[in-house]
Amino acid sequence: MSLAEEIVQLEEEALERIGSADSLDSLGELKVRYLGRKGPVMAILKSLGQLPPDQRKEIGARANALRSKLEARFEEAARAFEETTEAASIDPTLPGTGNRIGAVHVVNQVMDEICRTFYGMGFEIAHGPHVETDHYNFEALNFPPDHPARDMQDTFFVEGDLVLRTHTTPVQARELERRQPPMKIITPGKTFRNEEISTRAHVSFHQVDGFLVDEGVSMADLKGVLVAFCKAFFGEGLKLKFRPSFFPFTEPSAEVDINCFLCRGEGCQLCKYSGWLEILGCGMIHPNVLETAGYDAEKYTGYAFGIGVERIAMLKYHINDIRLLFNNNVRFLRQFL
Amino acid sequence: MKISYQWLLELTGLDWPVDQVADRLTLCGTACEDIVSTARHMKNVVVGEVRDLKPIEGADKIRLATVSIGSETMDVVCGAPNVAVGQKVPVATLGAELAGGLTIKKTKIRGVESSAMICSQAELGLSDDHAGIWVLEADLTVGESLVTALDYDDYILDFELTPNRADSMSAIGIARDLAALAGVRINYPTYAINEDTELSSDHVSVAIQDTDACGRFTARVIKGVTIGPSPWWLQKKLIASGIRPISNIVDITNYILLETGNPLHAFDLDLFGSNQVLVRRAHDGEKFTTLDGKEHTLTPDVLMITNGTESVGAGGVMGGLDSEVKDSTTNILLEVAYFDPSVIRKSRRHLGLVTEASQRFEKGVDPNNAVHASNRAAYLFQELCGGKVLGGIVDNYPKPFAPRQVNLRPDRCRAILGAEFSAGRMKEILGNLEFEVSGSDPIECLVPTFRHDITREIDLIEEVARIEGYDAIDDADINSGPLFTPIHLEDRFIDDVRRVMTSAGYDEMLGHGLAHSKDAARLEADVPQLKIINPVSEDLDIMRNSLVLSALPVVAHNIAHRNLDLQLFEIGKAYFPPDNSGAGREEDRLLVLVTGSTPGSWRDKPRPCDFHDLAGALENLRGHFRWPQPSFEPATVPYLETGQSFAISLEGRSAGVMGALDPATGRKFDIKQPVFLAELQLSSLLALSDRQPVFTPLPIYPAAPRDLAMIVSESVRVGDIIDEIRSVAGGLAESVELFDLYTGKQIPKGKKSVAVAISYRSPERSLSSEEVEQKQQDVIAALKQKFNADIRDKQE
Repeated sequence: MSLAEEIVQLEEEALERIGSADSLDSLGELKVRYLGRKGPVMAILKSLGQLPPDQRKEIGARANALRSKLEARFEEAARAFEETTEAASIDPTLPGTGNRIGAVHVVNQVMDEICRTFYGMGFEIAHGPHVETDHYNFEALNFPPDHPARDMQDTFFVEGDLVLRTHTTPVQARELERRQPPMKIITPGKTFRNEEISTRAHVSFHQVDGFLVDEGVSMADLKGVLVAFCKAFFGEGLKLKFRPSFFPFTEPSAEVDINCFLCRGEGCQLCKYSGWLEILGCGMIHPNVLETAGYDAEKYTGYAFGIGVERIAMLKYHINDIRLLFNNNVRFLRQFL
Repeated sequence: MKISYQWLLELTGLDWPVDQVADRLTLCGTACEDIVSTARHMKNVVVGEVRDLKPIEGADKIRLATVSIGSETMDVVCGAPNVAVGQKVPVATLGAELAGGLTIKKTKIRGVESSAMICSQAELGLSDDHAGIWVLEADLTVGESLVTALDYDDYILDFELTPNRADSMSAIGIARDLAALAGVRINYPTYAINEDTELSSDHVSVAIQDTDACGRFTARVIKGVTIGPSPWWLQKKLIASGIRPISNIVDITNYILLETGNPLHAFDLDLFGSNQVLVRRAHDGEKFTTLDGKEHTLTPDVLMITNGTESVGAGGVMGGLDSEVKDSTTNILLEVAYFDPSVIRKSRRHLGLVTEASQRFEKGVDPNNAVHASNRAAYLFQELCGGKVLGGIVDNYPKPFAPRQVNLRPDRCRAILGAEFSAGRMKEILGNLEFEVSGSDPIECLVPTFRHDITREIDLIEEVARIEGYDAIDDADINSGPLFTPIHLEDRFIDDVRRVMTSAGYDEMLGHGLAHSKDAARLEADVPQLKIINPVSEDLDIMRNSLVLSALPVVAHNIAHRNLDLQLFEIGKAYFPPDNSGAGREEDRLLVLVTGSTPGSWRDKPRPCDFHDLAGALENLRGHFRWPQPSFEPATVPYLETGQSFAISLEGRSAGVMGALDPATGRKFDIKQPVFLAELQLSSLLALSDRQPVFTPLPIYPAAPRDLAMIVSESVRVGDIIDEIRSVAGGLAESVELFDLYTGKQIPKGKKSVAVAISYRSPERSLSSEEVEQKQQDVIAALKQKFNADIRDKQE
């Protein structure tokens, strides 16, 4: 066998062995065996001096090429081993590191979601003061002074003949004064009621009120918008029930029930086995309210509605004690990341 | 208000099942909240007769009664003092399920086997009367089931009435809605009085001093009544409404109140003290004892019924103790009156009483029904108490109420409701509700005087809608309103603050806004407080005048629940007393706080939070909103630790404070670990926010990084060093960042080692190394000169 043939055979053999090496260690042994000082490649190179000059150049070049090729293959194979070895050493179940995110308060989450849903229907957001005058909180909303309807809203009075707003509807009275129709507005925010704190009641809660004033607005429009809201917010396939009710600032007035989203109307603890959940109040804006704001109630009509945010949040997340919402225990807050 | 279901059927002649009655009424606005079967605790309860009573040996409170229940005679242990031989009594037998969860089983009491029980009304769920066993009427059949014997297969309907519907506060009122829904008319109860030739006016005259407060007062006399229990058919209607039967006279007045909605009062004529009724305002300081035995000191806010000299009743609220009907009463003075709602509201507030009468008067009763109510009661006094009704009624009605006329335009009704109801149907509905209707466009309506709530067209539209049902109005399927819906900057700003803070790992808290004045004084005594005039409790008597005030209790609550590591923020208002214009003052603020340890992980060990963590949160916000460089001035904030509290200002505008909570203040709020907090004014920050970044081209020339370490006095602020470097380097220092800060062994006392990385780069060209070296030397010289910096060996 000529040296040239030996080199070819050596290459085949070495490449095959590299390919079947099963560990980094055996690869290292192979490398010593083939490329070591006492290895076959070295032996060939050492023997070059004994060759005739015409062969010396050619064999030398081949042997050197073989050496570099094998070196490259050894390195490549070793890298492959290292890579697999490293990947196998990762424990993917270790907790990830880095910054955790914080939780938006669940009441604000629900309030934002209600606002976003109405924004999608073209309602603009407006705000007003929490400390209100009797005029905007009551009088302008058709609560006559000393009227039993005022008993519906247990009111906190503060110095300066002011009240803590008992609903966000005063913002409606303010916007009616400030703008020209058509206007389509929601008024989210904090409200206050003088009630003993219990699992179901608190001194403060949040409300999203909304209203539209324009020419030719009817109760059918009101029903349409609330049905659309409820379906978007609580899910398609939902049934609604409009029950006549009373609010001084709307007439006709209604309370809206939806069929319980937990039991789908079958009756469960959440809906107190009625199959229905009361979720909002609404009605056509009372002509007295429009007239107080200086409108011709013959020309302009409007609807209004009000949603209690805590109530929706409690229903939606099965929260059984309203005080949890204001204790701000972080174990509670972080349940709503 | 609770009303018997059978009574409603009786008045309307309907035979609807109870669920239908409740559902239809609810859907017309007369909301039925609860349905309770009267017979729910009467299963296996029968009429028994007590045949014998024997003492039980060794027991003095209980006795052994021999009771016949028709099919058998049994021994029953009974502890009631009022049990007697010959009585008909309700006997609960095996399997009966009584109120309060008691089920009758075989038991042994004092060695006596007993498998039945003689019941009180309370045990049968009829009332809260535990006084003794219920003695039934003597003519009941022994052995018959109690429900059958009493004809008591009824339901109690509990209505939640809206304050506008005073007319619904009676059986007839509710029946009227039911009749209108069914399209039938009410069977009004009638009367046939045998009036005596002797006249009421011989015994009583009526004078009204304040005719605005008392619009009508009728009085009549019934003589020779015999006091006793009222018949069961009457009692059961009272019981259904939660009114305890007392005696025939009192029960009849309560019954007619429930039937008609007109409150009545029966005085003992012989105790009345004169033959004259005078209705007047109370004298200032006048004393009066109501029939519940409570003495009141009055003001002219309270309207009084007097006998000309002495008060005998607080008009429309409660009668007086002295002229109350007693067992010995034989002659009755019956009052049916009309009082102004707001007068009664003030009266009952002053007296601190809410009665069946006051609830109706303050919402508005029908003045024109007073005589009918008086006649109905007189009739029952005649029939049930053997009374002789004197002739005539003394009726002082100075300004009679006439029915109001309100018109309804059918087109307007259709436009408001968005539904095609016919004019004919509108007329029919209003007619069924007892409006007198005529004409067709407009429909002219005479409003019955029991409907104080109907004053204008919209009220009639509501009547049509609620009786026709809101389901008859289709849901619109188009959206209307303005073309464009803006999102306001303020709302976007709040959203962004919330997003930045939660992204940085801060949890949002939400305060209710109320606080305790004492806590506020502990925090910052000088800050004015907005006081609540009628606080719900002593510890919630002001509105918070700082977000810190509501945040510290949150921290304490969490620590108490072993949540020691907190990163919290709140966006909310602080409230202050009204300004000179009289408007309330409110400020939108942002509170950020950290306490305990950093979150950390298995790799990066947690360490105690400090001021700089808080600063990091604020820098995130600053980066997002591109606020200008803040300046920090040492400040004196009472609740922050001296030397660690700073006033933050941006471009000379005050933006808030930040620092370490003063440990003594913390302890007052039960917080014993360090807390770092900032309270910022959102309006200042919003005004300084730059929402319009301008693109800076990415660098194309190489940067020349140079590190610089120096030792300076501890009092030198790192921010000042960085500012100086920037200033000396001109535009060539693209960034200057602190990468090491050290005080300790290798550094002289009172000194610190500061190391910064400067990146030199020009946007226009490659800087030569000579140029960079020159700048670096200029920087070094300036730092030496300005801060007496000892520059350490070059890092390379």
